[in-house]
Amino acid sequence: MPPADLPADPPPSCSDPLQVALLGNPNTGKSTVFSALVGVHQRVGNYPGVTVEKRTGDCAWGGRRFSFVDLPGLYSLSPRSRDELVAVEVLLGRFRETPPVDAILCIVDASNLERNLYLVGQVLELRLPTIVALNMLDVAEGSGVTIDVKGLERRLGVPVVPMQANRGVGLTELRETLARIDPGCRPASPGCFPPEFNREITRLMSLLSRPEPASPQEESARPGRAGFGARRRHRHGRRCRESSIPEWLAQRVLLDTGGLVQTAVFPQPRADLDRELQDARARLGEAGCPIPNIETTARYDWVRRMLDGVAVQPSEQRTTASDRVDRVLTHPLWGALLFVLIVVMLFQAVFVWAEPLVDVIGAGVRGVGSWLTAHMAEGALRGLVVDGVLGGVGAVLAFLPQILVLFLFLAVLEDCGYLARAAYLMDGLMVRVGLSGKSFLPLLSSFACAVPGIMATRVIENHRDRLTTILVAPLMTCSARLPVFALLIAAFVPRRAYLGGLLNLQGLTLGALYFLGVVAAVAVARILKKTVLRGDAPPFLMELPTYKWPSVRTIVLRVAERAYSFVCFAGTMILAVSILVWAALYYPHDRDAVEGPFQTQREQLERRIAALAPDTPQRQEAAAELGALEGRIAAAYQRQSYLGRFGHAIEPVFRPLGWDWRIGSAVIASFPAREIVVATLGVVFSSESEGEMDATKDAPEFHARLRDATWEGTDRPLFNVPVALSIMVFYALCAQCVATLAVIRQETNSWRWPAFAFAYMTALAYCGALATYQIGMWIGG
Amino acid sequence: MPVLQVARDVPPPAGDVDPLVPLSRLRVGQAAVVARVLGRTEDVHRLEEFGLRHGARVEVFRQGRPCILRLGGGKVCLRGDRSLKIFVVPLHAAR
Repeated sequence: MPPADLPADPPPSCSDPLQVALLGNPNTGKSTVFSALVGVHQRVGNYPGVTVEKRTGDCAWGGRRFSFVDLPGLYSLSPRSRDELVAVEVLLGRFRETPPVDAILCIVDASNLERNLYLVGQVLELRLPTIVALNMLDVAEGSGVTIDVKGLERRLGVPVVPMQANRGVGLTELRETLARIDPGCRPASPGCFPPEFNREITRLMSLLSRPEPASPQEESARPGRAGFGARRRHRHGRRCRESSIPEWLAQRVLLDTGGLVQTAVFPQPRADLDRELQDARARLGEAGCPIPNIETTARYDWVRRMLDGVAVQPSEQRTTASDRVDRVLTHPLWGALLFVLIVVMLFQAVFVWAEPLVDVIGAGVRGVGSWLTAHMAEGALRGLVVDGVLGGVGAVLAFLPQILVLFLFLAVLEDCGYLARAAYLMDGLMVRVGLSGKSFLPLLSSFACAVPGIMATRVIENHRDRLTTILVAPLMTCSARLPVFALLIAAFVPRRAYLGGLLNLQGLTLGALYFLGVVAAVAVARILKKTVLRGDAPPFLMELPTYKWPSVRTIVLRVAERAYSFVCFAGTMILAVSILVWAALYYPHDRDAVEGPFQTQREQLERRIAALAPDTPQRQEAAAELGALEGRIAAAYQRQSYLGRFGHAIEPVFRPLGWDWRIGSAVIASFPAREIVVATLGVVFSSESEGEMDATKDAPEFHARLRDATWEGTDRPLFNVPVALSIMVFYALCAQCVATLAVIRQETNSWRWPAFAFAYMTALAYCGALATYQIGMWIGG
Repeated sequence: MPVLQVARDVPPPAGDVDPLVPLSRLRVGQAAVVARVLGRTEDVHRLEEFGLRHGARVEVFRQGRPCILRLGGGKVCLRGDRSLKIFVVPLHAAR
């Protein structure tokens, strides 16, 4: 139902680029087309309030400027979740920072035309200038389908461009077709619904065109969204608000029994609309047009009419190369074995290939740190730059190699089509936890590092499954826990061998800690799926895309994009927290109070060193003594710092876990990253004897130091096996990792979920540590 | 393990002469035409939009839960639940 043409259109404006939305089923090569059109000039962000990636890009050709927005892959415009609603909202022009759509580029998989044209039918209802890109024509021909492209174009009434996007075939034609778009043209609606349905739509539209009660709160209540009124640019760049609701939107409101479209378009409850919709659906049901199934019936009838004589299917399904590959890769035995092999390689890649890069980055950061230490005057500024800023930057960069390697691997697997097979193979296992096969690889990757693991959950379409996976991923024992476990196991767990040396207690303890993480993850996932993230599980339906050679361009872009988004968002947060923790450990830095007691001793040593000739044993001895003194001073500063005082104040909280204030402060100070606790313990326990030292290098000495540590003012040893176990259990379960929390924030687009993850994991860790210590003391004592 | 819960308590519609069988009874490589999909309205609608609907030709590629079906020129992996029942009319014996 086109609104009356507006008189006297203004001249075409050259400043506004043509807004083109890319729409299509998943696995149709939509992102490949998008990348080919806009190249590297793409921007990735999020839509306000949802977890959907927003991908946009600008470019120009044929004297025209274009602005593309790549909408999430969809099978239908009928939304079932907030995330799916995004596409409809973009088409409605309801996101303030996404201008209204002028034209639609619909990417269609030629080898599966019937299902793809279902979406095309819905798109044509929008009556916006539309281009259909008929992609993967080679795959279609390979399976014996013949398509009369010109015939299809005549039937659909919109341009159809045959393409093979992964090889760049058809891109020039697509660009030319895009350049010829007339923003004012309105293709005919498919008109596939029966008259009864159309009558209801007319009724509904007349009801909705009546003035609605507009309230100012409703606009401000939905940040980032424009109010109702299907913002649409009409002809040559002029924007106008149509007074009546477009026909396609009325259809969507009537067909959407879940009510998502209705609440999105009319945030104010409207009793008259509810009543009318209920009555209309009842009337249609009686007339033999049940809602929502009338849509599939009517549209598939239309699809059949469109394809009749235009696309010829082979009478017998041909066995394709993909089928032959799938006979092996989805085989219960061979497929599973290959999967295990691929997983081993993935782990190998993340641990082994990324390791040298991590070392190089670590060495570089340390090098810069010592250069700065040598060339800057001592004081707060040096501390801030070296320990705060550089420490933070180092922590951010240390994650990069793992992210790059993991995503390189996953991008290749995804682009060639294997990821869906992996999900199929693991589905039987994951369904017992209440998740689907798609959660397996993200969780597995989290054993290396939860950060890329959480970023990899984007492949999970089901919102609740994805959130559950994100929330339990940090429980997987990541590589950052290993230094903590290695230190405490080596220092406190006896080297006892069983079964003739086949098993030993230290190895068993480490294994038990890994097992604890998995058990906790399974339990938490089940609880989450039964409580906070409860909901009807829709049937699990996943397309197994045709295998293809991965495209280097797509993979490089995807990996670069992940790395960039991590550095930009999580990076700034990690940096900020590193600076805060540094400040808490540095200030008040009362020099007189801390260094005063050591001053005479230090001056004596300095005088002795100056008096002794270089390279004599006495001088070396004195220098070592001075080093030890400096270590004691550093430890004293830490004790006097705000964090040290805070640790002292809340010592009663840690007592039931068997910890004193020093362990407690070290644990709090390791909030930015778990492995920091090793270095902090090194500083804290340096005071009693030799002084500060590198906890990783002087391992046996450090172990001895920990074993000798006593409760302050007593001879009672601080550490024993239950205390060491309670610390390890705490680290197995806690969320002491800013990078993980930052990535959860980035991926869920809300502070709620990282806060929830931190709260539940800290509670779990505390209870776990408490139980470990108390039971340990009960057995041991 | 059946693909989808076999519902023996749901008889084929009266007057229908076609030999309806649950999808889970199909053997690997056996082609069939979907006769009806029963379940929650939302789920059925979703499956229909996906192309798994009355009149669609399917072939079992892997049995089990989840199963792999050939559907409309591609393959899909499907795991239903208790409420979802798919009945098909087999076209010919397994190859």
